[in-house]
Amino acid sequence: MEENLKKIKEKVESQIIKIENLDGLDRIRSEVLGKKGELTQILKNLKNYSEEERPIVGKRVNELRKSIIEKMENKKEELKKEELMIKMKNQEKIDFSFPVDENLGSLHPITIVQREVEDLFRTMGFHVEDGNEVETEYNNFEAVNVPKYHPARDMQDTFWLENGQLLKTQTSAAQNKIMRKYGAPVKAIFPGRCFRNEDLDASHENTFFQLEGMMIDEDVSIANLIYFMKTTLSEIFKKDLKVRLRPGFFPFVEPGFELDVSCMYCGGKGCKVCKHGGWIELCPCGMIHPRVLEMGGIDTEKYSGFAFGLGLSRLAMMKYGIDDLRVLNSGDLRNLKQIGIQ
Amino acid sequence: MYISMNWIKDFVDLKGIDLEELINRFTLSTAEVEGIIKYGDKLENVITAKILSIENIPQSKKLRRVELDCGDRKENCLCGAPNIQVGDIVPFAPLGSKVEGMEIKTVKMAGETSSGMCLSERELGISDDYSGVMTLDPGTKLGVDIKEIFDIDDIIFEVDNKSLTNRPDLWGHYGIAREMAALTGRKLKKMPLADLEKYNDLKKVKIKVEDKDKCYRFSSIEVENVTEKKLEVNKRIRLYYCGMRSISLLVDLTNYIMLELGQPMHSYDKKLVDDVRVKSLDKAINFKTLDDTERKIEKGTLMICNKETPIAIAGVMGGANSEISDETNSLLLESANFDAYTIRKQALDIKLRTDASSHYEKSLDPEMTKTAIERYIKLLEENDKNIKIVSRLTDEYVKKYPEIVIDVDKDFINKRIGVEFTEKRIIEILESLEFKVEKKDGKLKVRVPSFRATKDVSMKADLVEEIARIYGYDNIVPETKSQPVEPVEVEDEKVIENTIKDIMALKYGFSEIHTYVWYDNKKNKKLNIEVNEDNLKISNGTNSNFNTLRESLIPSLIYNLEKNIKYYEDVKLFEIARTWEYPRKGKDCIEYKKLGAIIYSKSKTSKQLIDEGLKVVHSIVNLNKNVKIEMKEITSNSYSWINPINSAAIVCDNVEIGYISDLNLNIKDAIAKKSNIAVIEIDIEKLNSIKKVNRMFKEVSKYQPVDIDISVIVNKNTKYAFLEECIKKAKAKNIDTYRVIDIFEDKHKLEDKKSITIRFTLLSNDHTLSGEEINNDLTKLIETFEENNCIIKK
Repeated sequence: MEENLKKIKEKVESQIIKIENLDGLDRIRSEVLGKKGELTQILKNLKNYSEEERPIVGKRVNELRKSIIEKMENKKEELKKEELMIKMKNQEKIDFSFPVDENLGSLHPITIVQREVEDLFRTMGFHVEDGNEVETEYNNFEAVNVPKYHPARDMQDTFWLENGQLLKTQTSAAQNKIMRKYGAPVKAIFPGRCFRNEDLDASHENTFFQLEGMMIDEDVSIANLIYFMKTTLSEIFKKDLKVRLRPGFFPFVEPGFELDVSCMYCGGKGCKVCKHGGWIELCPCGMIHPRVLEMGGIDTEKYSGFAFGLGLSRLAMMKYGIDDLRVLNSGDLRNLKQIGIQ
Repeated sequence: MYISMNWIKDFVDLKGIDLEELINRFTLSTAEVEGIIKYGDKLENVITAKILSIENIPQSKKLRRVELDCGDRKENCLCGAPNIQVGDIVPFAPLGSKVEGMEIKTVKMAGETSSGMCLSERELGISDDYSGVMTLDPGTKLGVDIKEIFDIDDIIFEVDNKSLTNRPDLWGHYGIAREMAALTGRKLKKMPLADLEKYNDLKKVKIKVEDKDKCYRFSSIEVENVTEKKLEVNKRIRLYYCGMRSISLLVDLTNYIMLELGQPMHSYDKKLVDDVRVKSLDKAINFKTLDDTERKIEKGTLMICNKETPIAIAGVMGGANSEISDETNSLLLESANFDAYTIRKQALDIKLRTDASSHYEKSLDPEMTKTAIERYIKLLEENDKNIKIVSRLTDEYVKKYPEIVIDVDKDFINKRIGVEFTEKRIIEILESLEFKVEKKDGKLKVRVPSFRATKDVSMKADLVEEIARIYGYDNIVPETKSQPVEPVEVEDEKVIENTIKDIMALKYGFSEIHTYVWYDNKKNKKLNIEVNEDNLKISNGTNSNFNTLRESLIPSLIYNLEKNIKYYEDVKLFEIARTWEYPRKGKDCIEYKKLGAIIYSKSKTSKQLIDEGLKVVHSIVNLNKNVKIEMKEITSNSYSWINPINSAAIVCDNVEIGYISDLNLNIKDAIAKKSNIAVIEIDIEKLNSIKKVNRMFKEVSKYQPVDIDISVIVNKNTKYAFLEECIKKAKAKNIDTYRVIDIFEDKHKLEDKKSITIRFTLLSNDHTLSGEEINNDLTKLIETFEENNCIIKK
């Protein structure tokens, strides 16, 4: 009996070692441990043994069975690992360095800059308004204190239309409508496309983008304007900028200023960008002219306010280091695709 | 405008003041300075010398050897100037001196050496004249540095004219000097004038102002016996440095006064003018101006006439017929003031903008005309002792500006500036600018000086500016304004625009471009794009190719697409921008905001491009509005770029918001024959006006859904929308969803038909569907399809 078991053990163990795949293992399992398997047969014939022998034989068989199962399990693990190894080896090798097509288009640089500025002003409680591009002479000129034959009309060469309307020369054309819409107090910005009847070169376009803003409240002062412009411009350029005001003449403000910022490229020491002056002329601004407020239906004794203009085209050029204004309207994807979506 | 610091120093003592810093201060407080030029620094150690002898040299016809007495020594050099004579005193540049920035060295010419140079005015840097060597007064001391005799050293700064638009008082040196006096706290000196009272017994100049609305004042005087021809050198240098060409004594002096006082003047040859009338033309004429140009002058133009003969365009330019000539020895002087708009308009109409007209259009102070004559005569007397005044100062003062008095209080000024000024300081600043201030009932009564009262200063806000700028904007401490915080509504249209841009660029790979708002007529022709040529036109554009405003964005996108197809296999462009319609001539146009998109591919089929376009359209409408879109026949537009076979209107809520189309082949072939192009145009305002449907949560059914597939055989041209209508009509109760799972076409088996297989998912929310219920729905569907001439594939 003992010998018989030993034989089975040796035979099975040597078979297990030789097996090369999971199927073989299943075959052995059924040959030895299955219903008709050798060990099962011994247990089935247990009645042929004496009362005393039976438990011993049973125990021995079970021990052998356990050990075989264990060996088979180990082999199974081994085979699985091997199989995985082969599968791994046979995988197709992927080139991760291959170029990727993101299928992304691109936003226009002005859109990106405009969104940044609009978001900033919204956080400060400003309405974002949208004006027309074809305007009446009244809104573009008269309502912002530029009557007919005023020399200030010279500063802006206007595209006149056959019906007496015009392509708006400045975002200020929306001032009157906004004052009438909201009354005082009001805080609003109004970005838009503007037009000037002039020849194109690297720094002149007949079609460009401006953003104008205004804040009207009780007793708004020049000191408020300086604070506000310094804070917002520092936020736009993500740099603590110094600002200075110079007198500037714009008919819709009184007093009117040219606002310079300390050069963000050299920090005010003087470089090519600021023409070695340390300052960059950035934005015209001023206290809204009382006549403009009056035409907008606002009480000038109680309320005052300031207005400012930012060249969005200019901001976009500064942000992306574009030095030719014409790039923006070129429609040339070799240029515009570079900017992408942010 | 150029300003000479030497000239300024005539009127304000600037001893001990850093001039460049003062000019910088001027930028910050008054007007922008565009640049500073230092004159005289290229000229060093040039001295006066007397010509002792002139000898010809053998090898040159032109050059001569000149011996010079330099006071303490003698020098000699070669000189080619034709005008030198023995005894002349000339500027001489000895060895080691500097002329035009170059050091004078010994040079060899025509086989001889020359050690020095006799100089022309141009070489001295004081005029453009290089016709010969400059000759100095016979009494000039010898061996003296030329800079001690003439004011060659000067600092000139250029003020940006635009920044002076609103300051008529700053169009002359005297006004600038007044500002500088206020900025430095120094006193402004009185301008030396001739006393003309003593001529009051003489006859009047004959003047008649006929058009009293356009001419405010006309002052005049007559002078005879003018013997000198040239303005003295130092004054000529100033004119030259300030950008004026020297012409003759009488003309130069009018320019000098204009630069000094800001008052344009005109000198007529008295022999040719004896009866001045100022009037508007009652008919158009041809008129030769003193620049020798024949000009057409329109009816209504204000002219200066001698009796009935026009002799000058008022405020713009004199005529050739009354011009000062070399022989002129008597003059009639004009110092007038005109309505600013009139002068500006007529200068623009004639297309002749002169120094005079650009002064007048700023609204000059009429008080100046008399002063200008007193100043002119003073300077003329200094330059020419022999002159004789033959008339009294005659003055037709037609229209005076009213005096402006502004009531203001300290608190108003302080609130508007944000600085606590004392009343004393406010008065001090205003008085430094020649405002007269009177305290009355706790308020300040401020009288505006005449030179600021023509339009510049008229209200409290103007006084705020005067005080703030002289105080210095740099000295104002920035201060925040506390305001109640309120939520700000974000405008729907902005949100939609932003979402669309993101969908286009991020999801579908379109590139946003900016295009011009007018059609390109040449491109249209080249690419077979037909547009409505009667749309709104630009009336004063310089390029007639770009004179019609666009009704649609598609042509603009096509122009830009054409530029890009050289470089890319696939191009997708879009823009959100304006278009216009002009239905009623002479009335305001209608402005639209539209989304335009164009898809181009070298490899994809039209169907693929339209499919892509449809995805874009659906995404845009769904993301923003969540309403069902219908694709219908286009009824509203008949643009030439729409393909009549393959195009559809985008309809939401029965509103046609736009269209999608394969590009008309006629245009497409003109761009690229072998490629395909599709276009989309959507009206943003119409899209925005559609009511948004909010999505609500619906519980998922617990019961088992059942799928049934039905294959319908229809004509190839039958639209899917037709099948959808059938499904609706069938009124099958339990259809939860349905979708197309297969489209089959086969020339042999189906010929001109196609088979569409639709999978219906039947589902109930409250029970498992019975076989009977399922059959009922199936039968309803099949019957309805069959009633509508569809064949059901078993």
